[in-house]
Amino acid sequence: MTTIISANPSIRDIEQLLYQEASFLDKPDLDRWIELYTEDGTYWMPAREDQEDPEFELSHIYDDHVMMEIRRRNFVHPRAASKDYKIRCSHIISNIQMAELDASTGDCTITSNFHALVNYMGEQRMYGGSYTHRLTKDKDGYKIRHKRVDLINCEEPQKSMIIYL
Amino acid sequence: MKYSNEQLAQLIEPTRVHRKVYLDPDIFDMEMERIWGSAWIYIGHESQVKTPGEYATATMGNKVPVIMVRDKDSKIHVLHNRCGHKGAKLVDQASGKVSAFRCCYHGWTYRIDGKLVGVPNMPGYEGTGFDKSDPQYSMQKVAQYDSYRGFVFATLDPTAPKLTTWMGAGMAECLDNLCDRSPEGEVEVIGKPMRYVHDCNWKMFTENLNDGMHPMVVHQGVVDAALQYMKTVPEDSAERSEAEIIPPFGASYEHFESTDLFAYQYGHHYDGGRTSIHAAYSVPNDYEQLMIAAYGQKKTREILTFNSHNTMYYPSLTTKTAVQNIRVVRPISVNKTIIESWSFRLKGAPDNMLKRTILYSRLINSSFGMVGPDDLTAYYRMQNGLESNGSDWIEMHRHYGRDEDKGDYIHGLLTGDLDIRTQYKAWKDYMTREQLAQEVA
Repeated sequence: MTTIISANPSIRDIEQLLYQEASFLDKPDLDRWIELYTEDGTYWMPAREDQEDPEFELSHIYDDHVMMEIRRRNFVHPRAASKDYKIRCSHIISNIQMAELDASTGDCTITSNFHALVNYMGEQRMYGGSYTHRLTKDKDGYKIRHKRVDLINCEEPQKSMIIYL
Repeated sequence: MKYSNEQLAQLIEPTRVHRKVYLDPDIFDMEMERIWGSAWIYIGHESQVKTPGEYATATMGNKVPVIMVRDKDSKIHVLHNRCGHKGAKLVDQASGKVSAFRCCYHGWTYRIDGKLVGVPNMPGYEGTGFDKSDPQYSMQKVAQYDSYRGFVFATLDPTAPKLTTWMGAGMAECLDNLCDRSPEGEVEVIGKPMRYVHDCNWKMFTENLNDGMHPMVVHQGVVDAALQYMKTVPEDSAERSEAEIIPPFGASYEHFESTDLFAYQYGHHYDGGRTSIHAAYSVPNDYEQLMIAAYGQKKTREILTFNSHNTMYYPSLTTKTAVQNIRVVRPISVNKTIIESWSFRLKGAPDNMLKRTILYSRLINSSFGMVGPDDLTAYYRMQNGLESNGSDWIEMHRHYGRDEDKGDYIHGLLTGDLDIRTQYKAWKDYMTREQLAQEVA
């Protein structure tokens, strides 16, 4: 999955990658979602506000490629009771800004706000907060090297959730 | 009370339990009073309040708000979180640091050990009979509190046995082992807890801790997913060894048959003994060397080969001894429970040990994880399925009659129901104690 970007990417081009990711999570289609990430890509959802480290403090999710690959297969496994329930999501992303840009490579850090409406196990839930995407550019376009999801209620008790946000 | 002691006793038989114990809000209220109001409840760890004035709050049972605080002499107290004047909670944060507790309403002020020191505009009380120094106006101490190896417990029952008596030597050994895995013999808490909402009765969680018959069923999906993935990467790759942490969660019946279950008084138990699903985890060399330097070869071996996987300090605390994670049960209502996960650093151990602790907890304790949500779905379905009045009873027969009484403990296998029978024996004792019967009458 690629997005064509000129040497100096415009924010509009970058947005397309974020929207694409959101649409794969809306379905959800983790097989296509994982292709947006680099081989060394990571997905991090801290459990504390302003958390600095994913490895030495508890997080809701900190997946590398290995865990993403396992989660992707588990997601469609018929013998995982938490996956018996259909899940439907609707993501809205806004306030997209380029926080950092390496002009020589085109690599950049994008911040945004998100709301995700999720229907799971008979109830509708609202998740919200901010995203930080670190994007890296190769010959085919941009991929996600790291995504950080800061839920505004990350320190509150959470219910079971089986999908990335 | 809606239930007499006799009626309560009839809900528990040697090999089955009545569904009402999970469903009836009246029974839940009685549990809060008689079990959670009388057992030692885990409050927190001393390392949460390192310096004088630091505090951490907790709720005992579903209602009673308390504060764990370190006083100026470094002594830890567990106080009722309630102003001696009109009753407002004095602090409403999970943790913090104060030089004094000051009520947000009329400004009554307390020393950090709870003694009332300041009442604004005192002349209004002159000649009224009010005496500021009367202890009833200070913050009240919880009936009993104590700590074991830094783990602080409290009980609302002044007649409860001492903490160490209640815990017993066998269960104390598990907390000893958790701490002794530090070259300095101490652990400290890391960060804040991760809290997981469970839409089920609190006992469904406690009864799963030593259930050796569910992993291969409940966790089959994630184990298969990991095994499928492992086939796609080379045998000796880093990816493969990373994925290897998952398959033990779905270990075979044979594996769990060879894991022992040790059951004690007051509903406590743990699994381990000859093996546990973590027995094969390797010990990093740098860590082992530090341990040997601290304890010597023989003692190090003893510490690192002690197997206790999940413990139950009934009803509020469970530890994963070998990986320094604990979970704390906070009942909310008959069908809602919050589980707090805390992780600990082994003082003096290399950072990679903490990394493993955190990885482990994130994998299994997170509400966004690949292990916990499948367990929880089973509890949630029991909570809802038991509403059916097709039958009133839930069986707990496995290995009944085969348990061996060893004097200090009862020995069984992880695949039996000894753990559940142990919890219900304590449940019945707590719920129907004679002195309570008199109070009710």
